[in-house]
Amino acid sequence: MENRLFINLKPGTTFLDRLTGKTKVRVFFVLIFLLIATWDIRFIAPLFILSIIGLVSIRPNAKKMTVALIVILLLNLFNLLLMFLVEPDYGLGVVGGSTVIFKITDFYIVTKETMWYFLVRLMKFMATFIFSLTFIQCITPSEMAAGLYSVKIPYKVCTIVSLAFRYIPDITRDFNNIRISLQARGLELDSKRTGIMTRLKQYILILAPLVITSFDRVGMVANAMDLRGFGKLKKRTYYAEHEDTKGDKIMAPIILILLALFLGIVACLIIWPPAFEVWCPWIK
Amino acid sequence: MSEKKSVGSLILGKWNTKTIVGIAIGAALFAVLMNFGGIKIFTNTSLTTAMIVDVIVGALFGPVPAALTAFLGNFLADLIGGWGFWFDWSVGNGVLGFFVGLIPVYAKQFDEGVFGVKEIIIYVVTVIIGNALAFGVVTPLLTYLFYSQELTITWGQATAALIGNASVQIVIGIPLLLFIANRNKKSSNLTKED
Repeated sequence: MENRLFINLKPGTTFLDRLTGKTKVRVFFVLIFLLIATWDIRFIAPLFILSIIGLVSIRPNAKKMTVALIVILLLNLFNLLLMFLVEPDYGLGVVGGSTVIFKITDFYIVTKETMWYFLVRLMKFMATFIFSLTFIQCITPSEMAAGLYSVKIPYKVCTIVSLAFRYIPDITRDFNNIRISLQARGLELDSKRTGIMTRLKQYILILAPLVITSFDRVGMVANAMDLRGFGKLKKRTYYAEHEDTKGDKIMAPIILILLALFLGIVACLIIWPPAFEVWCPWIK
Repeated sequence: MSEKKSVGSLILGKWNTKTIVGIAIGAALFAVLMNFGGIKIFTNTSLTTAMIVDVIVGALFGPVPAALTAFLGNFLADLIGGWGFWFDWSVGNGVLGFFVGLIPVYAKQFDEGVFGVKEIIIYVVTVIIGNALAFGVVTPLLTYLFYSQELTITWGQATAALIGNASVQIVIGIPLLLFIANRNKKSSNLTKED
């Protein structure tokens, strides 16, 4: 279970790892917004390739990454299958055409446009996923707090994010321990052998001790923070935030260009709304 | 002991260190439960026990902290779970957290352990309104704005989420709130000295 979590507590040594938290957070958010804004493969394809380069460049644990990527790919394909089952001729509405490749029944037709839309969508979602995977692999909780603070988010909120990050592995471990000890006492959690209502009841048995232990920490942590003078001043600095490296100086203009691109795309979509959401090479 | 508090300050909650840590741990708990403490019933939605966290944080700290817990919790769950970002759902959960977390606003004496039938009825109503507004209005609207399609599936998921979350929050939430209220009652015969 722990190996499903991707939280990194030690900064690594590759190019992306050595950037400041500020740069990492900005690059990440601008890329995610860009990916959300556009449905044009001419933007999505380069970003998709970029995301793969980014992921490879931080030299992650290959086995862990392969598992994660396969799981997410299957999940996305399943979603697409579901969409196809609900509305096979989806491409007509968003791409603007319906060129039938072959028919399964009269309702279930496979069209070129729907397949094109599915390709774009798959690429878009995979790129978002790979970017977030890369981001989470190369940032530490304190760097993330520092980065969020640099985009003018109040530092109390930044502290919430970094604290939450810090406690996720602890709470996961507690959850696991409680689950295992309850199983040792004979609780059946196997989904094949118990019904939904029984399982929900069993989750309450796990939940009660988990909630109590988790919220027991609140008083202790809050006192420790109060003793160190947390929240007394309006501003703060971060230990994890170091001076700009060469990489940050290279990235600064790139962030601006990406931001301009994002604003440009959004402005274009508002001023000249396209007839169809998804750009397609064979439809004029 | 029972000083009058304005509705505004009750909604915002007290922003001291304890609240901040409470939100943070609540968000972490939310993220963990979202990843491991659920039973899958439909794609992207499951009967998740994470929804209880809103109720607890709401009861302890108020609606705005509960909303923030749910929003950040969902964001973190997306980040560690690795299924991409669904800001529409994060915002939806935030809205839901706000409604569910209204407990200190209507149950004014919750701190002293008063949580009777009237409060339970209001709680059930807020849960249903919150879920309907969050997953019936806000999430589909944002899905349309951000991803501009697949509303059929979003509707399906929203209905599943609505029923699943509301039932989790009502079935598990009420006993839990009674338990917290009862715990508060035990310590309420103590008076605060100045």
